[in-house]
Amino acid sequence: MPRVGGDISTETFESLYERTFPRVYAYVSSLLRDRSAAEDVTAQAFERAYRKRRAYRPGRGSPEQWVFGIARNAALDELRRRKRQVDLHAEPEDTGAPTAEDHAELSLRREVLRAAMAGLDGQERDLVGLKFMGGLSNAEIARVLATSESNVGTRLHRTITKLREACHERA
Amino acid sequence: MSEHDAVIDTQLAAIDEALRSGAATAPDEAERELQALALALAADAPEADPAFATELGERVRSGFPRPPRLAWLPRPGIPQLAGLGVAASILAAVVVAASLIPAGDDEESAGGGGGAAEVAAPPSGSTQDDGAIARSIAPGQPPRAPDGFAPGRRERAIERTASLTLAAPGNRLDRVADGIATVTERFGGFVLRSSLGTGDEGTSGGSYELRIPEARLQPALRDLAELGEVRSRSQTGEDVTSEVVSAADRLQAARAQRRGLLRRLESADTDTEVEALRAQLDVNAREISGLRSTLRGLRVRTNYATVAVQLEADGDDSSFGGGSDEEGLSGALDDALGTLSGSLELTVRALGAAIPLGLLAALGWAAARTARRRRRAAALT
Repeated sequence: MPRVGGDISTETFESLYERTFPRVYAYVSSLLRDRSAAEDVTAQAFERAYRKRRAYRPGRGSPEQWVFGIARNAALDELRRRKRQVDLHAEPEDTGAPTAEDHAELSLRREVLRAAMAGLDGQERDLVGLKFMGGLSNAEIARVLATSESNVGTRLHRTITKLREACHERA
Repeated sequence: MSEHDAVIDTQLAAIDEALRSGAATAPDEAERELQALALALAADAPEADPAFATELGERVRSGFPRPPRLAWLPRPGIPQLAGLGVAASILAAVVVAASLIPAGDDEESAGGGGGAAEVAAPPSGSTQDDGAIARSIAPGQPPRAPDGFAPGRRERAIERTASLTLAAPGNRLDRVADGIATVTERFGGFVLRSSLGTGDEGTSGGSYELRIPEARLQPALRDLAELGEVRSRSQTGEDVTSEVVSAADRLQAARAQRRGLLRRLESADTDTEVEALRAQLDVNAREISGLRSTLRGLRVRTNYATVAVQLEADGDDSSFGGGSDEEGLSGALDDALGTLSGSLELTVRALGAAIPLGLLAALGWAAARTARRRRRAAALT
């Protein structure tokens, strides 16, 4: 657990990494839509967090939220650095390998959902990524995005309602 | 809270509950549908390649080792960078503050308004750049004169003079007299003439004629003024460029004439002719010698300013402590107050420059941060 006082020791950082890695990767991957770039940015984000671990201040939010903030900045920097318009409206990459247990109906629902996701704009996808890929609470998302919790709730509700309607249209 | 807001809150709470429990169990159909959607989104999260996860995990456990080649390089942290920034700001502030201190404000800083100080402005053409040639001369060494001056050129030859009347209590005159010699020596000058009057109680006054390198005249005058109460002060500057140019031209012509006479002497055929040429050469040599002496004198006059210091006894000894027993402590207190005052003045000036610089830096930092945040956000639009 992070020590009160702002420093995150190496041992604590390892546990922080174990707790957050899958979610950070999922979030970064959903933003960048490029497996290789997502790996680079995820590694870069954790290394950056490790180097800056003494700069962490508990008063500014949880360690998870802090790591997600760093990962988000790294991902957005990567988007800008590549200087190409990443099509956030495109259909998400199928990063999970299909399994024999995949039911036809489940696959169909997943396709419908991904198609609906393609109708979201970048900021909405960012919000969905933080909430459902990153598993952050609305308060933590508000800290990451530097906005209020109520604003996050409103935008999140609007986005998920939009997704539901899109799913209905496509079903 | 409106009914709509209440519905939103309920549905958001239902979503969070589904994400926690992993099941869509809300009694309301709409809420259950949103729960199912949230679960589907969470289930659709991309998963990392296990090999990548293992490799990154190892890097985390080993503390993200740096390449050995760069390991010895110190990486300045935020405190070090902040310290460097503060030091740079203070240095900049001191430089700015020092540049704001006017060169001719000694009446206020040293004299305390004791007399009618008079500062005569130098004549036109006498600018700060006039002494550029002399400034290149090391203190205490005879300055090397330029190769020549021409009217209209930037390098003007200015002969500067200054006079200063200092007053001090009779029992401090000896100390002031010593101070005059010390200051003169410190700035690479010399005392050309001095006279000290003596009375029943020791030194009663005196006069000094100093030569101080022109380039260091202003700081020397400042230090001299701090030795006592300034009762009057004046400075003048006379442009002698034309005299220098004229003498240099005539010297050049005389040397050319000498070369011609020597050539004619080599080819002279008769004794009469030789004698006549030698006589002309003698006249020419005297002319060259005189012109060189003139130029040398002009160089000394322009490279060294003449400073006349008049030292007078102040009748009111009480202002400096009066009795001889108390004079040491009083003088020390006076000096200490003067030093403290000077330090405070410099501090205030430095703060006056540092505070705006700090505000500007803070604004710049905030603006850069906002711009960076907006640029990043623009990647999502």
